[in-house]
Amino acid sequence: MGRRLIFHVDANSAYLSWEAVRRLQYGDSLDLRTVPSVVGGNQETRRGIVLARSIPAKKYGIVTGEPVFSARAKCPKLIVVPPDYYFYMQCSKAFGEVLQEYSPLVEQYSIDEYFLDYTGMVQTLGDPLQAAYRLKEQIKEELGFTVNVGISSNKLLAKMGSELKKPDMVHTLFPEEIPYKMWPLPVEKLFGVGRATAAKLRDRGILTIGDLANTDPQWLKSFLKSYGYLLWNFANGQDESPVIPNRRVAIKGIGNSTTIPFDVHDRQTASLVLLSLVESVGIRLRQAKYLAGLVAVSIKTNEFYSYSHQRKLSTPTDSTNRIHEIACELFDEIWRQEPIRHLGVRVAELSSNSLIQASIFEQDMEKQRAMDRAVDEIRSRYGLKSVMRASFLHSGLSCIAGGTITEEEYPLMSSLL
Amino acid sequence: MKVVMKPIEVIASFNLNGVSTPLKFRIIENGFPVVITVEHVSFRSEEKLAGNKMITFRCQSMVKGLSKVFELKFEPDSGKWFLFKI
Repeated sequence: MGRRLIFHVDANSAYLSWEAVRRLQYGDSLDLRTVPSVVGGNQETRRGIVLARSIPAKKYGIVTGEPVFSARAKCPKLIVVPPDYYFYMQCSKAFGEVLQEYSPLVEQYSIDEYFLDYTGMVQTLGDPLQAAYRLKEQIKEELGFTVNVGISSNKLLAKMGSELKKPDMVHTLFPEEIPYKMWPLPVEKLFGVGRATAAKLRDRGILTIGDLANTDPQWLKSFLKSYGYLLWNFANGQDESPVIPNRRVAIKGIGNSTTIPFDVHDRQTASLVLLSLVESVGIRLRQAKYLAGLVAVSIKTNEFYSYSHQRKLSTPTDSTNRIHEIACELFDEIWRQEPIRHLGVRVAELSSNSLIQASIFEQDMEKQRAMDRAVDEIRSRYGLKSVMRASFLHSGLSCIAGGTITEEEYPLMSSLL
Repeated sequence: MKVVMKPIEVIASFNLNGVSTPLKFRIIENGFPVVITVEHVSFRSEEKLAGNKMITFRCQSMVKGLSKVFELKFEPDSGKWFLFKI
């Protein structure tokens, strides 16, 4: 068999161009992509960050992830549109359906990215480069937005290739092209190199991907552990991961966090916020049929100082009440009375819930589980807010907090190829 | 033609294959309802922009003694109709 042929297809400023296309379809004369505009959260509830920006907005120095407030300061005429995650799911699905016409092996990698295995399709669909151009044009014509396509012999290089120059482009990045297409790029551009790793590498004089590729992997291992090997392989374009249709990433932990619309000063409100977070963590935990063996709580103060605390449990649990109880204990142990801006709860060390080791210290476990089950069932049938705890009445807080989409699986980026 | 994109009330027929044809529509013009009978559909086209399906109908009718060409749009997902272009 010849070498593999993998495409990575990435929608250009996805959220923003999807919003723009929707507006055009509804007869709006303005194309958001041609003016400074961003998709961003609501400033009033303090969740206002830039999720996606148009290319004209980029020229004003607006970056993804910065507060909408500071983006407005850079460009007063900036148009801010709110996000609509259900609509993005629909776009993403239509996007995937077009790709299915080019190969049966299509993997959704995130909401706006797909991998496609073109190996063996040459006989039926022709030259990969031409097919990629056809694919790009078809999406533009039918769905109205532009994409970048990266072509290579593995997923890593295909992904690196599609990021080379945007928008509306097709790039190849085969192993023989690595030295002049990938190695001159700054090391942060490499998949898997984040802010923390980049700083470590830069401190040691590794500035480009080429520098990384040409160092001794043993030396990398001395400060990056086994991750150093992985990055060295990536820098040399080595990756063997297969394209997996309908992939679901194994869950390691379930967490939820929220920025509260006001600063929290008292323990009682904080405990309510924790409860609203635990409610959704609990539902997800039980839906995935897991028990949690560890609970963690994180706090961010109004001065953006963060800290967290976690505890292992003697007996794993999936009970909303039990997790909340532990979360409150953890909170009491670490909170230093500062005003709180952001709270998070996370459970980990998951194990299957098919067998439960009972503990003589645990009370009414069966009763708790029956209760959670009944509430889950009512919520799945009549909506998440059909039953709520009385403590949330007049509290100004939502009875279930956080999360982009509560009921459907929303594909976010993963660090695994 | 220029884009107006106004919501309208519609009576339409659907054949056995699910192909729809607008027959009559009502639009509020200057505060008064106006009913227009669609006399002829010259062609229909389908689009799937951003994954949202919409069917466009190029139609013809007599309005105040003049033959006019216009386009209607139907969004199957929401069941809504629009006067798209006149």
